[in-house]
Amino acid sequence: MKTPIQHPIPESAPESEPAVSTPKFGTGVRTARIVLGLLGAGIAVYGLLGLPSQLGPAQLLGLLFWLACGVLLHDGILVPLTSLAGAGLNRFTFGLGSASAAVLRGALMAGAMMSLLTGILLRAQSVARNTSVLEMNYLTHLAWLWLALALGTAVVIYLLERRAGRRLSRAGVSQQKTRS
Amino acid sequence: MNRLTDALAAKFASPVRSTRLSVVLGRWLAFTFMVCFATGLFSHGLQNPPGWMFFLTRPIWIYQLTQGVHITSGIASIPLLFAKLWSVYPELLSWPPVRSVVHALERGSIGLFVSASLLQVLTGLINTYKWYPWPFPFRQTHYWLAWVIMGSLLLHIAVKLPLIAANWRRARGPADTELTTPEPADAELATAASGPADAELATAVPEAGRQHRVRSGSAARGAASRGWSRRGFLAAVGVTTGAVVLGTAGQSFAWLSPVNFFAPRKMGTGPQSVPVNRTAADAKVGPLAQHPGWALKVSYRGKSRNLTLSELAALPQTEHELPIACVEGWSQTARWRGVQIRDLVQAMGAEPESDLLVTSLEPEGAYRLMTMPAVYTADQKTLVALALNGEVLDLDHGYPARIIAPGRPGVLQTKWLQSLEIL
Repeated sequence: MKTPIQHPIPESAPESEPAVSTPKFGTGVRTARIVLGLLGAGIAVYGLLGLPSQLGPAQLLGLLFWLACGVLLHDGILVPLTSLAGAGLNRFTFGLGSASAAVLRGALMAGAMMSLLTGILLRAQSVARNTSVLEMNYLTHLAWLWLALALGTAVVIYLLERRAGRRLSRAGVSQQKTRS
Repeated sequence: MNRLTDALAAKFASPVRSTRLSVVLGRWLAFTFMVCFATGLFSHGLQNPPGWMFFLTRPIWIYQLTQGVHITSGIASIPLLFAKLWSVYPELLSWPPVRSVVHALERGSIGLFVSASLLQVLTGLINTYKWYPWPFPFRQTHYWLAWVIMGSLLLHIAVKLPLIAANWRRARGPADTELTTPEPADAELATAASGPADAELATAVPEAGRQHRVRSGSAARGAASRGWSRRGFLAAVGVTTGAVVLGTAGQSFAWLSPVNFFAPRKMGTGPQSVPVNRTAADAKVGPLAQHPGWALKVSYRGKSRNLTLSELAALPQTEHELPIACVEGWSQTARWRGVQIRDLVQAMGAEPESDLLVTSLEPEGAYRLMTMPAVYTADQKTLVALALNGEVLDLDHGYPARIIAPGRPGVLQTKWLQSLEIL
């Protein structure tokens, strides 16, 4: 069994990120960077110039508004909310092992993603006019998904915690034998 | 200001974030983006063919496959994009925001990349719902933004290439703390032995020893007392991506249809068990299509012939099983019965390998006129279809007659035919 190294944390840990020791690269990498950079810039400019060729001024303004809103919603709301949720989970999963905590977080991540998709589906369903699109009962499907996630997560966490408990017992017994 | 941004970075700190994590997620996302781009260009080329465009009629499910992959990889990109952006979020809060002209250009290109990517995947998804709440045309915007995104992606790779190369593989060697990173079960033992904080630290802090940047330094260490590992996070992202793919790809691929619970389309629905994109009511075509005097006009070099429905039905009929695949990703294989279009062309004295201009009865619409390249005209499976799944075509499926050809986007399978002009 591998023994985890307990890394000491210096009292005065640097506030900034540790420097990345980037290997030295030769002219090949430099050339690749230049080629990729020029190609990328050229392609991006081609796309940017193509937009006004098919979109009118009002449509371009609308596009800019949507581009800005997308970033603001993501960076200003979605990520802070997920960070808050993560902070809350830190307290909630305090007694669980890391594997169990990961399973719980993974289930919540999958459920949250599907809920986001379902929210958009339901909104679209409320304005849909076509009879053969958005026909399913997505809310019910989402409820079943959450139920399946909850049950699956509970079973997996139970098994993981039980296995960890057994290992702990064995470790405790062997420690006692060593001392005696 | 530095203190403020440091404080904010501390709030969002996580021991999971590292350059290695961003590189792994970036690889996954670059793959789905490139698949999306390639399949999207193919679809665009079929609809707006440049002079060099190649057209494939075999396998007959070629477009069903490429467009299904396009939509599915686009949907898979959503959780991957969110995860990738989460992994680099503290970079947003770095101060000063601009250090030089080059740095400003780099941040500007990343801003464009991020905003365009978010808009592209979300509007692409909503487009499959036939919902258009934005003030710009979807198809043109989607096409040009795809170029912007691919260009920005290449530029981003160029800027980050040294970091990508340095973190492409897990670090190896004597200092490889991966060797000493406890397995989950070991970590749990350590948790029980010395408290959860120590065990999680043992998992998280080696990231720094591995010379992967643990963003936000001491703040991350503070947060490292609880949470999860990079592998756990990647596994969760993989499971989430798998869930959205499994839950939606059944609209494109029949073998996944039983688990299709979250796609906008379901196979086997709609009139005659085939979904409909544009209804007769939407196209305002009902009275024209149901007019008893309807006839299909076929013309070639000044000659023309009008074929009534009974005359068309009296011609030799052929039945083929062909998929109809839409740009929104859904598809449905069905039995189509009708007249081979090459027979009609030859009856007018033209070569089967002729381009056609097909006109619909629709009074207006982007696809009222359709050009059919010769390769489809000559194909024996291309029909003027009169029946679907053993029944006369439903009005919403193009009654009295429609085009069905192998390997073409659904929008080019013209419904409610008015005329065929041999070019």
